Amino acid sequence: MKVIQRLLTQLPQGIVLTGKENTRPFECDGLSVYRQKPLAVVLTENIAQIKQVLKICKDNNTPVVTRGAGTGLAGGAMPLKNSVVLGLSKLNQVKSIDVKNRLAVVDPGVRNIAISEAVTQHGLYYAPDPSSQIACTIGGNVAENSGGVHCLKYGLTVHNVEAIKMLTIDGEELILSRQDDGLGLLALMNGSEGLLGIIIEITVKLTPTPILARVVMAGFDSVRECANVVADIIKAGIIPAGLEMMDSFAMEAAEGFAQVGYPLDAKALLLCELDGTQTQVQAELDSVLKILSDASTVKVSESEEERLNFWKGRKSAFPAVGRLSPDYYCMDGTIPRRHLADMLEKINELSQKYQLRVANVFHAGDGNLHPLILYDANIEGELEKVEEFGTEILKLSVDMGGTITGEHGVGVEKLNAMCHQFNAKELAIFHKIKAVFDPKSLLNPGKAVPELHRCAELGAMHVHHGKLPHPELERF
Amino acid sequence: MPDRINQLQQLIKDANNLHINSEWLAHAGVIEYFPEELVITIKAGTKISNIQTELAKHNQMLPFFIKTADMSIGAAYAQGAQDLSDCVLGVKIIDGTGAYLNFGGQVMKNVSGYDVARLLSGSKGKLAVITQISFKVMPISYMTQLSAPIKRATTSQLHQHIEQKLKQVFDPRGIFN
Repeated sequence: MKVIQRLLTQLPQGIVLTGKENTRPFECDGLSVYRQKPLAVVLTENIAQIKQVLKICKDNNTPVVTRGAGTGLAGGAMPLKNSVVLGLSKLNQVKSIDVKNRLAVVDPGVRNIAISEAVTQHGLYYAPDPSSQIACTIGGNVAENSGGVHCLKYGLTVHNVEAIKMLTIDGEELILSRQDDGLGLLALMNGSEGLLGIIIEITVKLTPTPILARVVMAGFDSVRECANVVADIIKAGIIPAGLEMMDSFAMEAAEGFAQVGYPLDAKALLLCELDGTQTQVQAELDSVLKILSDASTVKVSESEEERLNFWKGRKSAFPAVGRLSPDYYCMDGTIPRRHLADMLEKINELSQKYQLRVANVFHAGDGNLHPLILYDANIEGELEKVEEFGTEILKLSVDMGGTITGEHGVGVEKLNAMCHQFNAKELAIFHKIKAVFDPKSLLNPGKAVPELHRCAELGAMHVHHGKLPHPELERF
Repeated sequence: MPDRINQLQQLIKDANNLHINSEWLAHAGVIEYFPEELVITIKAGTKISNIQTELAKHNQMLPFFIKTADMSIGAAYAQGAQDLSDCVLGVKIIDGTGAYLNFGGQVMKNVSGYDVARLLSGSKGKLAVITQISFKVMPISYMTQLSAPIKRATTSQLHQHIEQKLKQVFDPRGIFN
């Protein structure tokens, strides 16, 4: 292949990986069920090399798949056939810290948690905290507009990025800032899943570390009670730093994994983190405890160690569930909070229908659901069954006034569900936006936005103003 | 409401040159407000002061700097500002071909498709007619003093070229001026 030859001759020795064995570690991202080996992987070390890779790929009409740490959960960084993977993980320097203005300029390959580690001495941290934060890179976070457990109060990635420097497919540099007067191009780049440009530098906002944070852990006799309490807390005018829910199955798994001391006799568990000054936390805590008067168990963290311990179970819920089943499929729909209990009941019904177990982990504060469907990929037909189950959940999310993905992205995984959320005209707008930046469609082509014929074939075109499925559901 | 949308669609289809403002839009009022969800959905012609009155009943507010509450929310959205854009959850628009489209929604977290709802904030009414907007709102007690956001005109040719191309995506006939 000409493109491989050029990469090997024009880039330094050792940074271009080719061949089956060398590229195998890059054949998938965190969604390992979909795999594809690329032509080559280039682990670039500087901007000049990135520009060179882009030029070679453009000259040869070769697709480019940009990759950070490869922790994405939707196949966004999965290589495409005959593509070149552009690895940015070696660009991992925190370039400057501006304590006064609470900003840091970082390379795209800096790990999420490394930003907080670099600024902790100044009493600051980087707020968005996806569960993969020890591994995932900030460039990937911007490309996915990643969330985490503290979004309700501190926002998503898009709210915590001040500016970016990006490269177009032509290798031209473009700086986008929150201060730009005009279209929201910076917001557009957040969550663009590597389809519009290569993010090569990020200026992130830093947040003062709260003086105090405490977690209230509460168990409930029913999921509905727990869901109602979530609404009551917000209604009372409290914005918790984190508000998370687990069903009994997820809780048992997490407890078995992390030995946190969760109330195993409860049907649902709520974790509510309050942060701020001593006075603020105490005032909020008093209100929350009043709201929690009907909970079966209530425990408040008395030390930082205990607080982190309460979170440990939640943050390890995915691997914990992973121990119970050969495979699991993680969903990411978001719904208006008031439908939480209804959604859980529907998921339970579907679980029986498909005869597949489900563990439910929710960012309850913002209505973002992560049902984990347990299955065994080695059983013939089981993956297809899981995909069908998952699609039903995502359709329900849309019909309840929500969305198919809250923070994981569409990638290759949710292309079919996109047909349910958007109509042909809306999808056409997305394709035209891509063409503005990437007219030859070389940047991560085929991901994130389904081709119109795909949706037509599915016969699942979203019904916009006509009759919707599940008419029994209360909607906006 | 669908009637007014239909009328607007027809007006746009028939037009060659339109300047959008709230009088022309004639589309005002709160569509939905769920205080416990921290979300309000408003028709774009609604006066900001009217929205504030509604939110204040539940001790909530629009968590961005407002220069004058006398203008419509659609006008504020069209002017654009970083803190306003941060609170945008979704929009319904009519593009330059008269198509009625929905981007984003009424939930805090949403990464399906490109973020058109935030892209169009700051579009000065030149890309599409915004008919309704959903915002995240906040309890008044959580808000500190809001200050006017800084805005800088972009001078890069590439940036301007991209903005022009994006206008053509939404307004291929060039009718919004």
